[in-house]
Amino acid sequence: MTWISKSVTGLGLLFLAHACYSAHEHSALHSTSTAALSSIASHSTTASNVTSLPIDISIETVVAVFVICVGLVLGSPELRPIQWRVWAGKIEREGEKGFMSSDGTVDKDYVGNPFRVLESRPGFIDIRKQRKEFAEWVREGGVAVGAPKS
Amino acid sequence: MLTERQLQISPIVQESVMHNTKTLTTLHNLTASLFGVGAGILGLESYPGFLFYLIFSLITSALVYAFRVRPGFIEESQAQGNSGMGRYFRNSMELWTGGLFEGLSGFVLTWTLFYGLVRA
Amino acid sequence: MAQIPVQTIHRDPQLFYWILIPITVVMILTGVLRHYATVLMATEPKKQELPAIREQRSLLRGINLRTNANVISPASFQARKDYLVNAYERGDFLKDPDKKGQAAANPMTDPAAMEGMMGMMKGNMAMMIPQTLIMGWINAFFSGFVIIRLPFPLTIKFKSMLQAGVGTRDMDPQWMSSISWYVLCIFGLQSVFNYLLGSDNAASQMAQQMGQMGPGAGAQMFGPGVDPDKQFKAEAENLSVLAHEYTLEGVEDRLLETVRV
Repeated sequence: MTWISKSVTGLGLLFLAHACYSAHEHSALHSTSTAALSSIASHSTTASNVTSLPIDISIETVVAVFVICVGLVLGSPELRPIQWRVWAGKIEREGEKGFMSSDGTVDKDYVGNPFRVLESRPGFIDIRKQRKEFAEWVREGGVAVGAPKS
Repeated sequence: MLTERQLQISPIVQESVMHNTKTLTTLHNLTASLFGVGAGILGLESYPGFLFYLIFSLITSALVYAFRVRPGFIEESQAQGNSGMGRYFRNSMELWTGGLFEGLSGFVLTWTLFYGLVRA
Repeated sequence: MAQIPVQTIHRDPQLFYWILIPITVVMILTGVLRHYATVLMATEPKKQELPAIREQRSLLRGINLRTNANVISPASFQARKDYLVNAYERGDFLKDPDKKGQAAANPMTDPAAMEGMMGMMKGNMAMMIPQTLIMGWINAFFSGFVIIRLPFPLTIKFKSMLQAGVGTRDMDPQWMSSISWYVLCIFGLQSVFNYLLGSDNAASQMAQQMGQMGPGAGAQMFGPGVDPDKQFKAEAENLSVLAHEYTLEGVEDRLLETVRV
């Protein structure tokens, strides 16, 4: 995903730079020619100075702006659901993977499951799971490597 | 708009709202400078320039809707039948007009700069 | 419609290389510098002694109870409310209970308050000094140049603002002098700073202005010159008049509503 957005944005910037350069060259060329003409012909420098851009440069500019726009939108971070139930469901389902930014680091405002406190309440403890984990631990020899994380 | 009671029943994650708004504002700020470059190259003056900004900002919002809001909506669509906008924004105006005015100053700056540079 | 002829001024391209670009580059670099200066100058908050912290936190506890009242059952809310209101009224949490009822001390004499003021001053200084310096620099070197034309028409009122230092009566107000380019840069470079430094940077003007209001409001709550006893009394009153409505009331009906087929 991320290299697509970067390459699209880069391509658009290239187009935009080319369009900018062309427009600059065009206007420079045009203004020198009109200045020369007007100095030869007459004193009518008012309206003829307003240069109109060739259609291809205009099209290139608009297309370039649009392409960069697409690239930036693709590169923008994911939106997050604002309702608690949708949001908590997303965290529960995806865990840390849902918060990985493009370069593989977890977002710094990721706090984990917001209802973690509830899980440690006596009423919410999954006692069968804990018993199974304990049995596993005993079967493996009972060496204290650190309690299995529930 | 949600009433207070509804807010209590289905609460809203403040952090997510801020994250979404920040994402949108950053995007609009960046693209606004870009539109300024475009408008400057095209040599637009007065109203057409602002119209250019408005149209392209709306296009950006539409792109955000298509690439960012829509996929999550499709994922959830069988669960709830309302519009996908309510998943990420409190109301749809936030998506369409959010960041429109923050970007304007950046737009004017780059517009003036490139207008001057190209028409030297 | 009578077409007003567009004023054209032939400008030397050197104006761009020696005025426009230097000003822009200096503005961007100053913004970056200001950001890092603010980060470096930020002092860590001073340690407060226990009673002061207890005073603040117990007030915050009341506020939290008030905002989240609806998620706890009526019985628990009643118990918490009774305890807090009684304690507030008696002044149990006050930093020094014997001074209750006296007028608040003058904030200028309190050294702890001065510390907070200094922090605010520093933030303002980091803002003001570069601006004054750059303003002076531009006035000294670049005053009186007309460098660029705004692409949209303005009324005549903007003339004095945009063409400061250029005393030409008939010039179109669209033309800008270097000082107004500087002003435009101040407002327009937000997005550049956003991009360069991340969105919560110290260089952006808007954040600064918001910050002046935000921490100001936060400091006002516990700040000097505010009588904590009065705050406790007000909070006790707020709590006692709060209408409590339990969120889980009727939750079964709402649940059945969602699963109805």
